[in-house]
Amino acid sequence: MARILSYRQELSDSQKRRFLFIALLIAELAILIFIATRLIQVNTVVDRVEVIGNQEFTYYKNVLIGDPPLLILIIIGLILPLASRRIRHEPVLLVTVQVIIVSLIVFVFWPLAKVFIEAFKSEYLAQGFSLIQFQKLLTKPSVWKAFTNTMILGITTSVLATVIGTLIAYTLTLTNLPGKKLLRNLTILPLLSPPFAVSFAFIMLFGRRGLITWDIFHITGWNIYGPQGIILVQLISDTPLVILILSSVFASISRNLEEAAEDLGGTPFYVLRTVTFPLVTPAILTAGLLTFISSISDFGNPMLVGGGFQMLATQAYIQMIEMFDLQMGAALAMLLVIPAFIAFVIQNWISNRKSYITVTSGAVTGYIRQQPTWIKAILYSITTFMAFMTVLLYGSIFVGAAVNAWGFDYTLTARNVTGLLTAIPQIKNSLIVSVGSGIVGGIIGIVIAWLVSRKNFPGKSVIDFSATVMLAIPGTVVGIGYIVAFNAAPYFWTGTFFIIIIAYAFRRLPVGLRTSVAAQKQIDPTLEEASLDLGASRLRTFTKITFPLLNRAFFAGVIYIFIRSMTDLSAAVFLNAGSTQLYTVRMFRVMVTGTPSEGAAFAGLLIIIILVALAILSKLTGKSFIDLFRIS
Amino acid sequence: MTTLITTASISIKNLTKDFGAVKAVNDISLEVETGTLVCLLGPSGCGKTTTLRMVAGFEEPTSGEIYIGNEEITDVPPYSRPTALVFQSYALFPHMSVYDNIAYGLRARRVPKNEVVNQVQEFIKLMELEGHEKKSPSQLSGGQQQRVALARALVIRPKVLLFDEPLSNLDALLRVRMRSEIRRIQQHLGITSMYVTHDQEEAFSIGDRVALMNKGKLVQMGSPRELYREPADRFVAEFVGLSNIVPGEVLESNGNGAEVKVLGLTLHCSRPRRGNNRQVAVVLRPEALSLGKAGDQGLPARVLTLAFTGPVARYTVSITDDIVLTVDIANPGPDQFFEQGSEVTLHLPKEIPSVLE
Repeated sequence: MARILSYRQELSDSQKRRFLFIALLIAELAILIFIATRLIQVNTVVDRVEVIGNQEFTYYKNVLIGDPPLLILIIIGLILPLASRRIRHEPVLLVTVQVIIVSLIVFVFWPLAKVFIEAFKSEYLAQGFSLIQFQKLLTKPSVWKAFTNTMILGITTSVLATVIGTLIAYTLTLTNLPGKKLLRNLTILPLLSPPFAVSFAFIMLFGRRGLITWDIFHITGWNIYGPQGIILVQLISDTPLVILILSSVFASISRNLEEAAEDLGGTPFYVLRTVTFPLVTPAILTAGLLTFISSISDFGNPMLVGGGFQMLATQAYIQMIEMFDLQMGAALAMLLVIPAFIAFVIQNWISNRKSYITVTSGAVTGYIRQQPTWIKAILYSITTFMAFMTVLLYGSIFVGAAVNAWGFDYTLTARNVTGLLTAIPQIKNSLIVSVGSGIVGGIIGIVIAWLVSRKNFPGKSVIDFSATVMLAIPGTVVGIGYIVAFNAAPYFWTGTFFIIIIAYAFRRLPVGLRTSVAAQKQIDPTLEEASLDLGASRLRTFTKITFPLLNRAFFAGVIYIFIRSMTDLSAAVFLNAGSTQLYTVRMFRVMVTGTPSEGAAFAGLLIIIILVALAILSKLTGKSFIDLFRIS
Repeated sequence: MTTLITTASISIKNLTKDFGAVKAVNDISLEVETGTLVCLLGPSGCGKTTTLRMVAGFEEPTSGEIYIGNEEITDVPPYSRPTALVFQSYALFPHMSVYDNIAYGLRARRVPKNEVVNQVQEFIKLMELEGHEKKSPSQLSGGQQQRVALARALVIRPKVLLFDEPLSNLDALLRVRMRSEIRRIQQHLGITSMYVTHDQEEAFSIGDRVALMNKGKLVQMGSPRELYREPADRFVAEFVGLSNIVPGEVLESNGNGAEVKVLGLTLHCSRPRRGNNRQVAVVLRPEALSLGKAGDQGLPARVLTLAFTGPVARYTVSITDDIVLTVDIANPGPDQFFEQGSEVTLHLPKEIPSVLE
């Protein structure tokens, strides 16, 4: 029996597609008009009243509330993808690209732009361009000092952290130090907790009434508060990042390259100088710039151990939240974001050029190098000291939580732990926000990853860049940006769960994006092509092929964002309100006002929550504890 | 059981694809007649895969049109095109069973369930995959994976079948077996096909016609015989089989052919010439040459190297210091073995199929 079958929808349904396209455009137009009415509202207010004779004339004027420039940007974002012939023919792709572009405009570009706009205003709701904020900055030495302080401190921390981190990474990958695995885990541990937990533990150990400085050594002239304290705690919280980056690079250097150099007559030192070192230089620079960004963005540590030492992030907070000077806060945020952005651009440029390091498949890597004993001794002591410090700091948090009053009374009690019960609303808020931002960020991340790694369309590199630029934006600036952009009419979003979730989702988008892009690269692109070729639509291909193959990466991204959102303080202090107070904000207040033991209990609980999240993540991805941090 | 497929021709008109400043495909026009198999052949980077991917819809042409039958499909998204592609890596979905892989395209079209079962079963039988339905693709051998990929492409009844170097992941022996199987099924179904390969032997053995590409351009299209016997230029002559290219001088030329002086001997070319240069190049295929012992009638030569591959003894011989020719002697007898360095006589064929202008 002969059968003639063709399940292909006949091409005559090109009319059907055209119809769909027009329907889509009409629907989008309707949505756009709705957005426009929200974004631009005109209020009629009394302008002036003139009395002529006994007649009273009331003059009204129309006042514009809202953001016409933002509306224009949204319209551009909607029109831009239409430039591609192929995208015009595929409604799903079209809508996806439009949604991504518009949300990046609204939630990444606009808040940052508003920081700059606000910084050049003379006062709230003022019109026009003014340099008055910067004149004020120059005349107020304390504020101007914050800038130079931040830069000097950032450079010092990043140089020290990079040197120490590189040495530790070398020790952990290329020497035969006993207990390497344990030491590796321990030195990475500070990445786990909110950075300011480190400074809190530091105070518990080395403060005026610190366990080591007071109870053991009875040192009286010692002062931890000030730049020296900030540098020390930042070293502990930033060095792990350097260790991570450098470890993977050291581990991937092909031994064959060094052997070839030795074979050609290079002495060990010559090989180190001409082959090994040039191979790791880009990674060292990358690590240095990232720690610089991390250091100048730091908010919690300077607040706790700064002791009046002025920094940009803390000054911006004080100007904005305590002095209610929105414009001055924005001006300070601008000073903070410019160096961070420059460092990010350089870092991006370097890491895009270092492709030669990855071409090592099949090569012998991770070879143990022989070193003279005295070098070994130095490397070993630095590494073990770092691991020891971590144990000490984290140990003090958990021990501190279990005693009556750290520094005064070391009798055991459950009081601090039961005291956590008062924080249940904040725990709930933080969980809502972190889970929410994890899911939102994860979804946006996976979609953008899919777009940038598989599709070609106009504006792709812009999407890629704007999705990763948040990496360079300090939390303080994100917080200020969202406040100046969305605080007033027509939004009134500040303090809502919605805006905190959105802020965190977009702030941590680079992490979700990187996990997804990395996973995406593992998948043979022909799988998706095969699906499309067999007649499955874009949507079906994504749900049946792409997502099932990517879901682990997706959940990994979700948990990363969850962890980062749980531990964030710098953006939280700007965005949360009474009813949405976040756990870290409460924890920070307790650390400042309560006893050390109360603070330790708060920090301990947060660390446990994160450990649980990490355990789930490790199970999901089948990766070891350390590998989990590779991408972040 | 007969499976009929409605098939249609492929027409490519002035197709161009730029990647930045690089013209990956440069103004290509070609036709694949209904029911035939055309091989796109060429060195890597010649644009053959890009051309195929534009037909499948994965690359957007910079300019030009693609038709299947009479329908223009240049801007149609890949999932709405009546094409099915067999990928180089097979692209079998690793998270689905063999059965689900084959059923994928039918389900995407919302074909009724019992119909899906029938169709899939039919192709599992046709491809001799019975008993493997529940397995995951990774549990199959390379040849079986290849058959699953083919079944998955065919079950959606495409009008046109596309192959992107489908055999390059198989070992040499299996490659030869699979290519004849692909050819058998293609002819059995009578489906129009486009087949990309960089392997000249594969292209010649499987294609009704071969389109040879180089640097984004279509250099020559014709039957394997035409390409081999009448190469359009030096590139074709060298890419299609081993060739000795030597200068020649046309002595006489008319509608019936030409007399060409090659290496001092006069050879007859039975094909009318396409140009009218006096100085031309002549392709001497190694298997058209033969060797005899020194002193025979012919060109005196010296053996430089000998490689014996089994069916063929391959010599390189020099006539003068700068003219070195390759000679293949098939099924060599005992009197056709010559030591390195020995003096021999080179026999040229009396007839040459064409000259290069």
